[in-house]
Amino acid sequence: MLQVNQVSKIYEGKIAYQALSNIQFTIEDGEFVGIMGPSGSGKTTLLNMIATIDEPTTGEILIHDRNINQLNKNELAKFRRRELGFVFQDFNLLHTLTVEENIVLPLTLDGAKVSEMKSKAAIIAEQLGISAIMNKRTYEISGGQAQRAAIARAMIHAPHLLLADEPTGNLDSKSARDVMELLEKINQEQQTTMMLVTHDPLAASYCQRVIFIRDGKFYSEIHRGEHRQTFFQKIIDTLSLLGGHANDISSIRV
Amino acid sequence: MTFRQFAYNNVARNKRLYAAYFLSSMFTVMVFFTFSIFAYHPALNGNGLSQNAAAGLSAAKWVIYVFSFFFVLYSMSSFLRSRQKEFGLLMMQGMSTGQLRQMVFLENMIIGFAATLGGIGLGLVFAKVILLIGERMLVLEETLSFYFPIQAIIITFISFMILFVLICLFITAILRNRTLITLIKSNKTSKGEPKASIWLSLIVILLIGSSYLISLRASGDQAIYLLVPIIIMVSIGTYLLFTQLSVYIIHRLKERKSFFWYKTNMLLLSDLAYRMKDNARTFFLVAIISTVSFCAIGSLYGIQSVLIANTTSYSTYPITYFSTAKDTARAQHLQYINDTLNTHAIDLTPATLHVLRYKISESADPVSIIRLSDYNAFATLLGEPTITLTDQQTAIRTTSTIGNRFNDELINKNITLEKGLSIQTASQATLSQVIPALSEYLVVPNIFYQKLQHPTTTDQIDVWNGKMDSSTAIQLAQDIQQSVKPYQAHYVFFAKEYEVYSQKQQFGLPLFMSLFIGIVFFVSAGSFLYFRLYSDLEEDKQKFKAISKLGLTTKELTKVLNWQIALLFFAPIAVALIHGAVALTTLSNMFHYSLLKESSIVLGIFLLIQMVYFFIVRHFYIGQVKSALR
Repeated sequence: MLQVNQVSKIYEGKIAYQALSNIQFTIEDGEFVGIMGPSGSGKTTLLNMIATIDEPTTGEILIHDRNINQLNKNELAKFRRRELGFVFQDFNLLHTLTVEENIVLPLTLDGAKVSEMKSKAAIIAEQLGISAIMNKRTYEISGGQAQRAAIARAMIHAPHLLLADEPTGNLDSKSARDVMELLEKINQEQQTTMMLVTHDPLAASYCQRVIFIRDGKFYSEIHRGEHRQTFFQKIIDTLSLLGGHANDISSIRV
Repeated sequence: MTFRQFAYNNVARNKRLYAAYFLSSMFTVMVFFTFSIFAYHPALNGNGLSQNAAAGLSAAKWVIYVFSFFFVLYSMSSFLRSRQKEFGLLMMQGMSTGQLRQMVFLENMIIGFAATLGGIGLGLVFAKVILLIGERMLVLEETLSFYFPIQAIIITFISFMILFVLICLFITAILRNRTLITLIKSNKTSKGEPKASIWLSLIVILLIGSSYLISLRASGDQAIYLLVPIIIMVSIGTYLLFTQLSVYIIHRLKERKSFFWYKTNMLLLSDLAYRMKDNARTFFLVAIISTVSFCAIGSLYGIQSVLIANTTSYSTYPITYFSTAKDTARAQHLQYINDTLNTHAIDLTPATLHVLRYKISESADPVSIIRLSDYNAFATLLGEPTITLTDQQTAIRTTSTIGNRFNDELINKNITLEKGLSIQTASQATLSQVIPALSEYLVVPNIFYQKLQHPTTTDQIDVWNGKMDSSTAIQLAQDIQQSVKPYQAHYVFFAKEYEVYSQKQQFGLPLFMSLFIGIVFFVSAGSFLYFRLYSDLEEDKQKFKAISKLGLTTKELTKVLNWQIALLFFAPIAVALIHGAVALTTLSNMFHYSLLKESSIVLGIFLLIQMVYFFIVRHFYIGQVKSALR
């Protein structure tokens, strides 16, 4: 489904900065993958490149065997509108629109029928438990509700790939848990491929596989077994190895 | 929600963001429409002066149109720039470039259509008032009654719909496609502080200082030749003032920690520096546009005053009849004037005197001699002090005329008028309005006057003095001029009120046009500032939300915002006011006539408008930021 081949990103400037170097991994259809790493490790850069927001300096990203960096502007618009869903940390709902209008926006842009949009929005709102706030404006709802609305917007067109950038970053623990359970449910029921970037070990523990990167390089990856609780512990262990004291460990080894 | 509904909702639910843009577009439409109401007014489509007025107003209308084009273009592009993040998000949701253009086009057509209708509607509401003002300012003989201006409505509607379509097409075509990442992060990145160099900052002082010095010291016609180089120098100087000198000053202030780290100064200055790149361009534009409107209105108003002063300096009497010896119809004309006065039942006191003219040399103008008793009779009539002279004394009197300084040929000379008759003239000349029609003359004792038998020629001056209201005076002058034509080869009939009236009539049109165009410029300059301010609103809300958590009192918040808005509103206007004051002083030097009153009125009114504007905007802006803190 998604192939990331030898991707590097260099930010030009007075001092050129290599954000990512030779990242390589694949994600199968229906997989739920988390990307973790310390601040500045290049997680968000990687996600932005997969989301076609940014472009890699070298290497290629294939989605369904199509190189997304070679799409022209119109193909790109269609690709984002039909195959991609994106959930932001700060929701990024348009404040001029109601919740319902925000949700149907990708379909509106695609020129769908109003009746079709209405019914799809109603179904997804029901699933996410936000039917009651459909006619409210974005500043009248809570953070958890806003993130659910954003997920609904990312899901309404049944994308093949759902990308999420710190979806629980701005939420309290209860809302965060709700949102992650929701994503897991969508992943299991609709077989939507998902990839999320997060700091939060709890959020990451809902994934089937977590890829760790450090200083722009692939570090390790761990798979989830039967129990989410043990997976959560493994994630924390890996993070402590990955964290700021990595140098101490290597010096001990020597 | 279809795509069209989406575009509509985006405008309809975001009124404040669009309000400034909408209101200023509506205002330009209204001004254009107002000019059209005049231009197509049935009363103005007759002959003569009124027709000129209609043609002039029509021309002014198209000047406004061209300006509106650039104004709307600028407003629209700065408006779109503030919405980059929104565009980035929409593209993330899969909006294609074509759809983005379509959306911007639709939005602007909604606003354009509403602004056109609103402008016409508002124009109709105020039509009667504006027609009345126009009637006054244009000094028209016809009364401009209210009519339903079908033609003006159609022209305005079509012209502005074309304008909006053209601009929409133009702007959507150039709507640049930047990469998504820059769009989405656009509100997080500063455009950076411009770099300031001390040398360029010094050049500012050099450029502006020297242009001021040159223009203030320029005399007479010199000023006209210096106009273009000075405009260029001042423009460059003003640009560098905002992009270099101001930045330099801010940097210096920031370096002084005792000042920079004092209470709210830190907030204010860091903000100023952060936004200086955006502000500099707006400041420059606003300063130049305001200077142009100050100068246009100020100089026309000034020139009108100069010309009226020049006209009235011919005579202070309501009616004056000046005739040379060759005027054969003199008795007849005097009779006619007296008869007309009688038929109008106007009681004026007449007086008459003779002026002896002696041609002393070929090159110089003849010397004019007035008898002392005649002078005193006229002085009594006018309520001026009389004079006494000894037998050998003379007095020199000059009448002030603009730009025509007294030549000292008469002062302290021994002049021989006739064979054996010479006279020592006085050592100084005194300004006086007692005798009309002469620019300078000698007053001689009666005894000496009697000896004069053979002047080169003898002129006669008849005046009528008294009070009457100006409409009667104008009517009277018009009646008299039916048979006594003014300004002929051998005589001059001069009715003061009528001359002022016709002068004003001639100047009404350019003054009216410059006033309107100047106001349009000024209002648009104000909108530029408003756009600038409101594009920072969201950022300010976020910033103050964060700072208030650290503990910022309402008073401190108000203080910081107050300074921020005041600097934005008054920095460019202050520069423009100084530029304008220097330009008007140069103008007044050119005419040797003080325009202090006129300049102060024009500049004062503009300053007042700006202050009202400032208080309104400040009230709403601070309210907005405060509401975000709750």
